Amino acid sequence: MRWNNALAAVLFCASVAVAPTEASQPQSPFVHKKKFAMGTVFEIVAYGESPAQARKAVDQAFREIVRLDDVMSDYQANSALSRLNHSSHSRPQSVPPDLYRVIREALQYSDLSGGKFDVTVGPLVNLWKAAIRGGRTPSSAEQDKVRACVGYQKVELLPPDRVQFHSPCVQIDLGAIGKGYALDRAADVLRSRGISRALLDAGGSTTLAMGAPPGQAGWLVHLRDPSNRVDPQVVLSDRSVSTSEQTPPSLLSRASPGHIIDPDKGAPVRTPFAVSTVANTGSASDALSTTLLLVGPEKGKELVKNVAGVAAIWISPDGHLQLASSGPQILLGGGAPGLATRVETDSGGLR
Amino acid sequence: MMASGSLILMRTQVLTLVCLLAATPGWSKVLLRWTQSSIPPAATMGIKELVVSWEAGALIKNARRQGYRVFAEVSVGQAEEMTKETEKSDLAGIVLNPGNSQPGQIELDLHQLRSAYPALPVLVLNAQAKQPQMKGQLVIKKDGVLQVTSPTAQPWIDSNLALVRLDQVFRPAQTPLYEFQWDLSDSLQQEYGPNTADYSLAVAEAGAFHADLILNLHPRLQTDLSRNAPAAWVVLRQIKRDLAFSSPGSKNVSEPEANVGVITDAYQKSYEPINLFGRHNIPFAVLKPSDLNPQSLDAFDLLVVFAVPDEHTATRIADFASKGGLVVLVGAHGPFPWQSGQAIPAGEHSVAYPTGKGRIIELPGPVIDPETFAQDIRRLIDKDKVEISLWNALTVIAVPYRVPGGREKLVELINYAQEPIPVQVQVRGSFSSVLYATPDRPCCDSLTPVQRGEFTEFVIPSLRIAGRVRLTGGRSTAH
Repeated sequence: MRWNNALAAVLFCASVAVAPTEASQPQSPFVHKKKFAMGTVFEIVAYGESPAQARKAVDQAFREIVRLDDVMSDYQANSALSRLNHSSHSRPQSVPPDLYRVIREALQYSDLSGGKFDVTVGPLVNLWKAAIRGGRTPSSAEQDKVRACVGYQKVELLPPDRVQFHSPCVQIDLGAIGKGYALDRAADVLRSRGISRALLDAGGSTTLAMGAPPGQAGWLVHLRDPSNRVDPQVVLSDRSVSTSEQTPPSLLSRASPGHIIDPDKGAPVRTPFAVSTVANTGSASDALSTTLLLVGPEKGKELVKNVAGVAAIWISPDGHLQLASSGPQILLGGGAPGLATRVETDSGGLR
Repeated sequence: MMASGSLILMRTQVLTLVCLLAATPGWSKVLLRWTQSSIPPAATMGIKELVVSWEAGALIKNARRQGYRVFAEVSVGQAEEMTKETEKSDLAGIVLNPGNSQPGQIELDLHQLRSAYPALPVLVLNAQAKQPQMKGQLVIKKDGVLQVTSPTAQPWIDSNLALVRLDQVFRPAQTPLYEFQWDLSDSLQQEYGPNTADYSLAVAEAGAFHADLILNLHPRLQTDLSRNAPAAWVVLRQIKRDLAFSSPGSKNVSEPEANVGVITDAYQKSYEPINLFGRHNIPFAVLKPSDLNPQSLDAFDLLVVFAVPDEHTATRIADFASKGGLVVLVGAHGPFPWQSGQAIPAGEHSVAYPTGKGRIIELPGPVIDPETFAQDIRRLIDKDKVEISLWNALTVIAVPYRVPGGREKLVELINYAQEPIPVQVQVRGSFSSVLYATPDRPCCDSLTPVQRGEFTEFVIPSLRIAGRVRLTGGRSTAH
């Protein structure tokens, strides 16, 4: 879902919204590098035996991300995914191991969500994007035509490395899971190079923590809060967190329904919530955050209960808050009236 | 980010006046700031001019002995003392750093300096600039690494285009002169200084925006140059290549191309939105309400008005719209003449008034989401009036310039990602020749133009940091 990338970062807000950490002891030197890939900025902060060692490891991790972009990109005509999408759909196609693996993970989340998470939704995204550029809404006929191409059940995996499409027009778009998957693999590279303390980020929407900074329990991550009243936080250690939110409405025009498409309705989902999801891996948090935005808090809390090691928080601009967890803690920080500063829930919500 | 708005506005107004008195037309360059006591000879460095703090008297003398022309930087409040102690023959110019001083004090100091050194250029520095860079989401603090999640964001670019364009209008007598402090979070960078590419990007940006820059050389680089460390000289050679590329003789010949006019009476009202205009390659020009006349809006297809229109401005706006223009009025409530017509809901919080052949959209409040606002503005420009479009270039800012005569156009490009990428460009107008230059290949590669209606398309095979495209042999589409 590369259209995601057109969404703005409100970074100047982020930089003033954060509070200082409680850590006061001197920090070991760390390496901080960033890299443009997959249409966004990847960043890694890493502690190593020496800055030089950490820097080499980070460079290697970035190379892995670029390699995966060459596999998973639907923009690059020669990527493995583009070749798969443009191949003959009448017979199975062999794909590289990473592409097979990420599609397999994506289909697992499609099953888990009853099809709300669907990597075949790309044609609908493109339809809406093109229509809105032209200042209009896609017609019912256009939507119906494209919806015929959408459906994760139209993708079949044939172990060990082949993909069979069961529709002549189905296409895969890994935008809702690819960055998380790339972070997982980049973390593997860092580990293999002796790095155990690192924070990896993909465009602000998915963050993966390895270990913890020296002297701390984890990496403090403030979560997206459209109300500016809740200040939710997580202390991440060997987990990941992702955030999803529909595109904000246009200020000057009526044709901006949003970039996240509900596959059931064939149209952009209408929701006021921003959702942040904690999970054990980058691909899990990435996929689940989109899923939980699409299903909403009511069904989402049930889903969270059924997946180990997941926590989620839904926050609307007016401060409406829902929480669910099957393990990890999401902390509520400054200023949420009537809320404890530390909330632990197995499931359920708060208002 | 701007500090106290009213203070800045006052200071800006005063500076506008005093800069008119202190005009130094034709100034346009990047000056290196030196802070370390040891300094290599100018002939060895291949650099003629340096900026040195006036307080570092010994360093000024040393720099002059080493063959440099020295610009003394003085803070507001030091002018009187400086005029008593420093011979004019010691200096090539003066840079006045206003810091957070009161406008009256700035004016006083500038007057004193101009009186004491009538033959020297006295330049006012804007120290509010940012290090040009592609930013991520991590916020590095002294006591930890912080992160705020968000929906997936396209790369955030810290650029100084908005600052330069505002300075050009609010400080019209002086080419914008700015400096920034390096944003070094990485422990190795803190020790050894910015990468060579960071220096290149800073120089490229100033050149592309036709602004002047005081470039802070990291202390380690200065020391290594003095010690004759080979790696430092590699960095300096690249900086000099960038300087040569960014200071072409034609710098002041061309004018920024813009079909979006931004009418504002204060930095703080418009800064963030037009910062995002730059980010989205919307060519804009800034105007003050007092500068409006019947002809001043002819070049534009769309106006964005941040100033509350007085009767004069409202008339100009209505005239512009009645001829077919589109106006977006931000944060003003009226009453205005066009409000006698029917209001049509536009966006969630905005209404539009058809006015003659055009329309006026009113957004009642301030722009709380500059990114969305900039994307809206981009969408509101008719497709056949878009001055420039880029593809596969989320980290690139392109600034088109028109050369008098209309048969030639320049496009300056900066890639903030600092890594080579191919860029597809579409420019309004028909041109038969496209030449592409970079600091490492100043002249040049011929690119193949493809005509698409009233537009010329071409592909830049590799843009690393700085690039300049010269389009000739054709006609640009008249407004």
